[in-house]
Amino acid sequence: MMATWYDRDPTLLDGQKQEVQSEYPTLHFYRERDRLFVRGSLPLVHDDRVLDRFSIEIELPRNRPDDIPIIRETGGRIPRVTDNHINVAHGDICLFVPEERWRVFPTGSSLLDFLKGPVRNYFLGYSLKQLGEPWPFGERPHGKDGIIQYYSELLGTSDEKIIRRYVQCLSKKSFKRHWPCPCGSGKKIRNCHGSQIQELREKIPWAYAMKSLRYL
Amino acid sequence: MSDNKYLEDILKSQNLADDSEQLEALRGHRADVEAVLLKHFEESSPTIRYGGSVAKGTLIVESYDLDVICYFKQDDTGTGETLKDIYYNTKAALENDYLIEEKPSALRLKSRNVSEWGTDFHIDVVPGRYTDDTKTDTFLYQSSGEKCRLKTNLDVHIAHVKDSGVIDAIRLMKLWRVRYGLAPTVKNFALELLTIEVLKDKKDSSLTDQLKHLLTELRDNSDSISIEDPANPEGNDLSELLNDGVRQAFASVASSTLGLIENSGWEQVFGSAETEDTGSKSTALRQAAAAVVTPSKPWATDL
Repeated sequence: MMATWYDRDPTLLDGQKQEVQSEYPTLHFYRERDRLFVRGSLPLVHDDRVLDRFSIEIELPRNRPDDIPIIRETGGRIPRVTDNHINVAHGDICLFVPEERWRVFPTGSSLLDFLKGPVRNYFLGYSLKQLGEPWPFGERPHGKDGIIQYYSELLGTSDEKIIRRYVQCLSKKSFKRHWPCPCGSGKKIRNCHGSQIQELREKIPWAYAMKSLRYL
Repeated sequence: MSDNKYLEDILKSQNLADDSEQLEALRGHRADVEAVLLKHFEESSPTIRYGGSVAKGTLIVESYDLDVICYFKQDDTGTGETLKDIYYNTKAALENDYLIEEKPSALRLKSRNVSEWGTDFHIDVVPGRYTDDTKTDTFLYQSSGEKCRLKTNLDVHIAHVKDSGVIDAIRLMKLWRVRYGLAPTVKNFALELLTIEVLKDKKDSSLTDQLKHLLTELRDNSDSISIEDPANPEGNDLSELLNDGVRQAFASVASSTLGLIENSGWEQVFGSAETEDTGSKSTALRQAAAAVVTPSKPWATDL
């Protein structure tokens, strides 16, 4: 088994620890065999006021420090149902559609970026939801519908056939510019949406698109 | 405000009023659980009693529980021949109504209602068998550790904590455990015993002195601190509750907490003691959301 990134580069881990704990002193790193967790209380701070707190557990990825960590709420406060955007079986919170990470948690981001970005967004949203208000940034439908909605916004079409062809194209490890364009124009990619597809492939890792294909 | 007044305010903020929604719900769930157990084990007619932080007076809002003790008579075998049988038969009796999380000697109950799946009811059911007809000492099944049997006594445990003279310090240490992610590494039972042991000669000290002393001991002497079960000091081995991982976690978190106290004061340790009303909280949360630069929409997958 490949060594974890935190064993390969303990200095990088120390840097992440210092960065997180300087901002969130109540979060601590716990090593359990070869797994690494961050646990504690996450305060939602705005204008120097703590508006709410959630007990959380983050399991750090093993392979790369900037892979998407797994996050769970551990205080038993959030019912484990899909309506709360939680995987019922594992308790993992789905903070965003993975394809959207280029925007909300870009490759190269730190754990602190993750906490201050999508993690804080989620708990702000849930805190409001508990007070009877809607999710402040909206929410995606579960499973397939959420994927379709995301690509629909990204591509500017609600045609599921087109969306599926795009996702198929993005799910290939490499692509050829003479392939038919997924937009359905009948032209080759290079003569149609070549630059758009190139740009999307730079944003969306093929493995994420491949996973989404299972839904579509 | 003095540091001690601040800590007292934190403690107040962690109280639950007797007519609070949480305690009302807890009592409702308790009645349901009791009914399920008594119906299922009608022939054995177990003794049902209550323990946990509610009974000991160590409740904090952020971590409270009620132990529903379900003890069977010494000669009863209707529930099973062995302690392990009793444990798993009790689990089976509750499984239709609850999601069950197995703990070393207890069964944690969570909701299996579709709309609130996995919501914690803050109730542990503790099955066991009395050691004799006096109905005092009890044997519990233990799924971890060297021995699979634990001898215990509910009344001794409750009295040990209630009469300790350091209830406030215990409650603050429980809050520290929750806020700093020491749960689930550190068990509340271990933290209670440890707090009582370390503070046995400091009962008259101020809360700040008690906590500083305790945290300093955890930072500097976590390797040598030991605890024993007041209900069975010689017999029950609690070493697993203070294994190397627990001791390291204590030392590390205590060290950073003492650093916070030294550099920034107590308020950095537990945050503000003030609680906001729903209306102003809602407004502030909306303002916080409006200031977010990169919003994100949560999704859900069952794959």
